[in-house]
Amino acid sequence: MKIRYTLISFASAVSLSFAFLPYGARAQNTPGFLSSIHHHTTLTSTVPDNGDQNPYAIAVAPISAGKVRQGDVLVDNFNDKNNLQGLGTTIIDYDPSAKTTKLFAAIPRHLAQCPGGVGLTTAMTMLKSGWVIVGSLPSNDGTTATKGQGCLIVLDSQGQVAGTITGPNLNGPWGNMAVADNGDTATLFVSNTGFGVGPATDDSPVVNKASVVRLTLSIPEGKPPAVTNQTVVADGFGEQADKGVFIIGPTGLALGRDGVLYISDAVGNRIAAIPDALTRTTSAGTGKDVTKNGLLQRPLALVMAPDGHLLTTNGLNGEVVEIDPATGKQLYAQWIDVDKAQTPPGSGDLFGIAMTSSGDGFYYVEDDVNTLVLAH
Amino acid sequence: MGNCPFSSRRGFLGATGGLLAASALTGRAAAQVAELAEGNPAASAVAGSISSDGKVPFHGVHQAGIDTPQQTHVLFASFDLVTDKVSDIVRLLRDWTEAATRMTAGQTAETLTADPSIPPADSGEALGLGPRRLTLTFGFGPGLFEKDGKDRYGLKARRPAALVDLPRFNGDQLDPGHTGGDLCVQACADDSTVAFHAIRQLARMAAPNDAANGYGGKKAGAANPYDAKPGVAVLRWIQAGFLPDSPPGETPRNLLGFKDGTQNPGSPYPAERAQGKLIGNGSFADAVWVGGEGPDWMRNGSYLVVRRIRIALQHWDNVELDFQEQVIGRKKLSGAPLTGGGEFAPLDLDATDKDGNLVIDDNAHVRLGAASSNGGARILRRSYSYNDGLAMIAERWPPWRQGLEDEAGLLFIAYQRDPRTGFIKIFEKMSKLDLLNQFTTHIGSGIFACPCGIGKDEFVGQKLFQAI
Repeated sequence: MKIRYTLISFASAVSLSFAFLPYGARAQNTPGFLSSIHHHTTLTSTVPDNGDQNPYAIAVAPISAGKVRQGDVLVDNFNDKNNLQGLGTTIIDYDPSAKTTKLFAAIPRHLAQCPGGVGLTTAMTMLKSGWVIVGSLPSNDGTTATKGQGCLIVLDSQGQVAGTITGPNLNGPWGNMAVADNGDTATLFVSNTGFGVGPATDDSPVVNKASVVRLTLSIPEGKPPAVTNQTVVADGFGEQADKGVFIIGPTGLALGRDGVLYISDAVGNRIAAIPDALTRTTSAGTGKDVTKNGLLQRPLALVMAPDGHLLTTNGLNGEVVEIDPATGKQLYAQWIDVDKAQTPPGSGDLFGIAMTSSGDGFYYVEDDVNTLVLAH
Repeated sequence: MGNCPFSSRRGFLGATGGLLAASALTGRAAAQVAELAEGNPAASAVAGSISSDGKVPFHGVHQAGIDTPQQTHVLFASFDLVTDKVSDIVRLLRDWTEAATRMTAGQTAETLTADPSIPPADSGEALGLGPRRLTLTFGFGPGLFEKDGKDRYGLKARRPAALVDLPRFNGDQLDPGHTGGDLCVQACADDSTVAFHAIRQLARMAAPNDAANGYGGKKAGAANPYDAKPGVAVLRWIQAGFLPDSPPGETPRNLLGFKDGTQNPGSPYPAERAQGKLIGNGSFADAVWVGGEGPDWMRNGSYLVVRRIRIALQHWDNVELDFQEQVIGRKKLSGAPLTGGGEFAPLDLDATDKDGNLVIDDNAHVRLGAASSNGGARILRRSYSYNDGLAMIAERWPPWRQGLEDEAGLLFIAYQRDPRTGFIKIFEKMSKLDLLNQFTTHIGSGIFACPCGIGKDEFVGQKLFQAI
């Protein structure tokens, strides 16, 4: 367990709307989700035997299949053992009940169908059909100067590559996926941060070409998912090459029950809403502001808590921020990573976030020390 | 600082674990420490003793330079063997033994002659400096026994089980140019020129004699200086290191600014309190010297692990003092454990604050290095700081700063009875969890079997080669 203190700061107003509370009983007794979080437990190192570093994506298994048990936590790595970004190729599997960690997948560094190689991003999900889909935004030298287009990689439940998904709408699939999973069909939302991004400089330009694409999948029994439709539902977000953190762009996606897609716009320091995301046939551009600035400090991964509130991790400090999307109010920020090796504490440490199976807490990664942590 | 695999100069006085914690003592501090260490083997061992003229005897039960109070300079040299004949190695070790005996006594590597027609037998830069407590400690790397699957010298069967290849540790960014080696020599002295001179002579004796090609080499003892020879071993990497010449009785500080080496095997002070038990630092016999479990040539020898550890000094210097102290687990100025007392007070690994949180954090460096955190594992840390100027560095921690930074840190040197239950056991966990990892990167590495001490008529490692 690392040195940690918990700080709950109240945002501008703590008046709640209960109009959007799927788990009303719990929420009615507690003013928001973060106020119920009091413990942070380091679960495991995320570094596999090959030395990969920098954990990014977190996906909680919805079912048991192959090597994975329901409730297992899959975590991928963006960096290789030399800590070069965009060269990580591994996914680990943490079993919360057995408290054990094993390697789930070691993907070849180069796949013929994946332009530029493999460097696993925050885009990862496990479907009810047992397939795991993970994004790649590869580099050959740890910088965007050698960035490739990347792809989505389809793995079977044994962690073996079963296929890839590429196309003109995919370039650097980056942020955590939002998913509507019906078993034999599924809808994925994937953010892209690779369009038009060049080498990082001290003054890299913001390129407003990041997009979010909706992929409709057909999943025949025993066969890998096949894309039946692709629609860009949002575009024009800022993206920026960065010498320190590789790339900055839309990183978090979460799907509300009313079909609204929420997007963390890291460059714009805002959370955006895309209406009718499951059905729309055109792009909504950069969507509507849900909230902006305030407690947000470069929002990254995004997840929806059982009470319908959004949780996002900040890239520029160690805070997770709770937002009520119905009102746009920022309710709390809890300083979950207070590592003073960074200024401000925890800056650059947080990235992926995922709810536990039971919804009573969330998992997050600490990139500074390569660990998976449970907040509960 | 205690408990680090970086270690302290307290050497036989013993440090409190951790990689950063170092070993022996400067000359001025040595006598005082020797008194404190009464009853310790280091105080009476022939090789570790110091004569008034600054000589550390080369011959003894143990090799000098392990339990010797730590000098202020080191030059660590690693060699690749380039010969295919074991007889060449034996001859080299004989030559090295003879030269080491002379140089540790303050003499030239070979007798100087007045013949103006041949290169001088000694390069001469240390003339008149005296021995300056020079010690030369020799080690055998895995490559002497087996290299690329080949048993080059018929020694494979004699490779000690404890001489394992070091595993890859989390965060390792090892540079092949600072890693490995078939032979090593640790030259320590209270003068950097004396240490450099010693390695320079030994390397020259081992190197190919390319005089015939007009490059001016000379093989030790060769009748014809122009008789080209292929050589026995060539330098693979070298690292210089230094310690502050701290006042007598003061534990020297490393580049983190912390005292390094408050605890080590042989310390008369208790090391730590854990789970209600107060435990000591262990003895050299327990932790450092190979016993009956090893082959005869290793008994009273020790296994050396060396790591070149870069420290992100610019990063560290901008970290709050209280966080620096939490990372280490000790107070910066006094060296005392965060749990109270003076520098040599035991770490209280059980102590909690009013909220029930551990005073010395779970991931604090001293806790992770403590014997009680590692199944009793202890090592002798005998490390030095290093500074190799500036280099373009991409830090491996958030916020991933990149730029021209100090290429400086710690030349971690540890001696132990068995690396499998010593450094490897300690660092396997430490490499994953230590808060200090956010400031340190291991960029060089080596493991060597340092054979037993050398008798008057023996050469280094003689017992190893006797049976073949």
